[in-house]
Amino acid sequence: MSDDRPQPRRRVAPVAAPLFGGAKPHSGPRLSRADRSALGIWFWEIDRVLLLLLTILIAIGLVAVAAASPVAAAKQSTAATTIAPLYYLYRQILWVLLAVPAMLVVSMLPRAQARRLAIYATLVFLALLFLVPILGTTVNGAARWIGSGVFRLQPSEFLKPFFVVTLAWTLSLKVEDDSLPVVPLSFALTTVIALLLLNQPDLGQTIIFCSSWLVLMVVAGMSFRIVGGLIGAGLAGLVSAYFFYPVATTRIDIWLFGEGDSFQVEKAHAALTGGGLIGTGPGAGIAKFALPEAHTDYIFSVIGEEFGLIACVAIACLYLAIIIRVLLRLLDEEDQFTILAVAGLVTQFGGQAIINMAVNTQLFPSKGMTLPFISYGGSSLIALGLGMGLLLSLTRRNPYLSRSTLDNDWNPQ
Amino acid sequence: MTTLVARPDRVRLAGQRQRAMMTAHQRLMILMLLFIVAIIVIGGRTLAFAFIDDAHGSGRGGSAMIPARADIVDRNGVPLARTIDAYSLRVVPSRLMNDPRRLAADLAAIFPDTSADTFYAKITGKNPTLLRRRALPEEVAAVNALGEVGFEYPRVKERLYPQHTLAAHVLGFTGADHRGVIGVEKAFDERLSDPALRGEPLVLSIDSRVQATLESELYTAMVNLEAQGAAGIVLDVSSGEVLGMASLPVFNPNKIVSGSNAARKNAVTYNLYELGSTFKPLTIGKAMDIGVVTSMSRRYDATKPLKVGRFAIHDSHNMGRWLNVPETLIHSSNVVTAQIADEMGQAPLEQLFRSLGFDNRPQIELKERAFPLWPRSWGRLTTMTTSYGHGIAVTPLHLASAYGALVNGGTFYPATLLKTERGRQPAGKRVFSEATSARMRQLLRMIVVDGTGTKADAPGFRVGGKTGSAEKPSAGGYAHHSLVSTFVAAFPMDNPRYVVLAMIDEPKGNAYSSGQRTAGWTAAPVVRNVVMRIGPMLGIIPDQNRDVDLSDLEPLLWKPKGEN
Repeated sequence: MSDDRPQPRRRVAPVAAPLFGGAKPHSGPRLSRADRSALGIWFWEIDRVLLLLLTILIAIGLVAVAAASPVAAAKQSTAATTIAPLYYLYRQILWVLLAVPAMLVVSMLPRAQARRLAIYATLVFLALLFLVPILGTTVNGAARWIGSGVFRLQPSEFLKPFFVVTLAWTLSLKVEDDSLPVVPLSFALTTVIALLLLNQPDLGQTIIFCSSWLVLMVVAGMSFRIVGGLIGAGLAGLVSAYFFYPVATTRIDIWLFGEGDSFQVEKAHAALTGGGLIGTGPGAGIAKFALPEAHTDYIFSVIGEEFGLIACVAIACLYLAIIIRVLLRLLDEEDQFTILAVAGLVTQFGGQAIINMAVNTQLFPSKGMTLPFISYGGSSLIALGLGMGLLLSLTRRNPYLSRSTLDNDWNPQ
Repeated sequence: MTTLVARPDRVRLAGQRQRAMMTAHQRLMILMLLFIVAIIVIGGRTLAFAFIDDAHGSGRGGSAMIPARADIVDRNGVPLARTIDAYSLRVVPSRLMNDPRRLAADLAAIFPDTSADTFYAKITGKNPTLLRRRALPEEVAAVNALGEVGFEYPRVKERLYPQHTLAAHVLGFTGADHRGVIGVEKAFDERLSDPALRGEPLVLSIDSRVQATLESELYTAMVNLEAQGAAGIVLDVSSGEVLGMASLPVFNPNKIVSGSNAARKNAVTYNLYELGSTFKPLTIGKAMDIGVVTSMSRRYDATKPLKVGRFAIHDSHNMGRWLNVPETLIHSSNVVTAQIADEMGQAPLEQLFRSLGFDNRPQIELKERAFPLWPRSWGRLTTMTTSYGHGIAVTPLHLASAYGALVNGGTFYPATLLKTERGRQPAGKRVFSEATSARMRQLLRMIVVDGTGTKADAPGFRVGGKTGSAEKPSAGGYAHHSLVSTFVAAFPMDNPRYVVLAMIDEPKGNAYSSGQRTAGWTAAPVVRNVVMRIGPMLGIIPDQNRDVDLSDLEPLLWKPKGEN
């Protein structure tokens, strides 16, 4: 450190400073430690390592979409219309240009405002989710979208991050007032959403919503006996889904018994292993052209073929690094709401990544689930940007504050 | 905890919050561990795909691992034919981005065997066409590096023969439609392409080490003797399994070029030869069986050519004296063999040849089998000439199978190219009596010890066999200077296990064979070399102290005074 003068430890109030603060008398150069503008404070408060990891992930995503784009373009092209091979890459760049600023803007919100945004947005997208069965657009046999063309959006994708923050806020109320029936309330809300999603049908999202609720319950201190019971009920639900929910039946059949049309699974395996350890090289993949949904659900297999299984392992490690980074930082956090919200957000993010990679490696039956920040998709990317923005906003903390040691006994007996 | 009651509410709330926080942090760490485990499982699975693709997994990705056509392996599992994914090179002219002239020149530089003009014509055509039906990975990489999007590299199934020309005639090859054209590929086409069976390789009786030895020794002899071709077989006498089957010149099944039809002929099963003197042991064996030859010491007149009507049977080397049976075989006398056959009559000889299958295509799974030239009418003369292998033309495989029966105790087994489990071999057919076979083992061994086959005597391997040098039939008679020299042998003679046959087509008498063209100088050394090389591989230990007991026959050989 060049600066050998001890800095005074003081709490910086992130209020009332202009975002791009001009020449304040006590401001140092832009983004220096002495910069007291809101942007400077944001820069020093935000989790920069996490931001870097997300940037790497988004960059990898663009490369992967570039590899998968010709496949999707070839699939969509007809005799009459030809779609440029890199069409989906250009679209994805557009989405990134929207999603990244959205993420940064949300990350600049103070905690209270972020919470308020999440609660209002939850109401809006919940309303939209209710409208899906009425106004929805059906794609690939599932009515998940509202609107059409560029303005087509998938309410469940947006609802996901906002919902979990709202849920966290609801649960954190219990700390203030023990008498509030927050657990039954949150359970009812989750159940309603799950039923709406199953109706679309969208089993993957249902699992993500339910498991993020469960994680919040666990972190909020639910006894393990009840947690065990709930997991058992969840498994029973899956088994009953297998017997009574046709989509689940066929997919689980294919996965477990290799029955029925295992076309997707075989093609994914062929693509994933097609390039061996180090891959065929960018653009040299062949098996990828046989993949359905190469740019979304099976983009991990495209990466496997062109960049090798080593790259796949590296991406899995990158996701793990993000998850660990966020969870470890939560250990310094004392606010119940923040812990719950951030844990929920990172569970959604990590859970989605793990389910997608597990599907691609044939550990799970196939389901429509994108790989966060790597798969192509506007709704998914912007929703992820908003979710990560919330996460970044909530994990902002004064770098000069250190965690109060919890094992410090306040009440010696 | 009872003391908690005494605390003020505010403090209790703080304590609760504190505990809740600790619980939350604890559970966050559990959550983190779960994530770590999940990622480790996914990463491990991914790496497992890279190193051990178990091909079943939980899905059925493994079905890609079942080849489109079954592999062919030798009896020890050495791959002889496999199906691989190869590249081909295709052009879609409508998508070309670069100057076709330049592309054509670049392609011609990568594939020097095709001219730039040919490529130009193809890439400026209207429709997508194949530029190369097969391309090596490095060629594909080079073409890809041209950066042209109009090229495609479809993967195509290709039949690969990793041992190159080894056993090419046995294996055959497949056509563009992936169906067998000749050889095992043709004979077992159904089996090889059956979806239910193609996961399992087809196991041949061929031993690739034996096959390679046979080919290399035959090739050496063929080149040194300036011969037109050569053929050889190694046959298991107790099951009919073919351990080696070579036909020279060879061809490369990986690269089938038009116009090499002659080389693709399997001389062992498809070429007919008058195999000459090698028939004599068969005739004499039959004569012993039916009691025409009762004593080894009985002598026959070999002082002069045998006149039958207008025809005279000569010996190539007139001994000028009377010969007994062992001497007949040792000196390979046509005259005496014809006398014995004459005495035996036509019926038994014809019956013998029929029971050995000489009247039909050789018994083996291959489709390329020639129908023998069977005498149209069996007169007295025919009986006499066929007894020493003239006037009847069979394939080398016929002869090898017959010798198997002659030495193994008298049981004839049809030859097979499939590996046969011990004890599962088909029931054979008795052709000679045990006693005849035992006597014949002595006689064949004597030919190698004392007679025309001395150059086949691999020390310690107890080789026994018979030479045969037949003149090739040509327009209007026999070509006196083009011989087919055959040596058919079995070893070890005290308990025969393998028949080894070597045949040289039109050897030249040169320095390599001391100016001789006959089998004793051309084919016999091949058998010796083959036996010396394959014997130890097949578990036959050379032993100078063991041999067939010849003591009852040795005294019958006349030797000039002075020689003991």
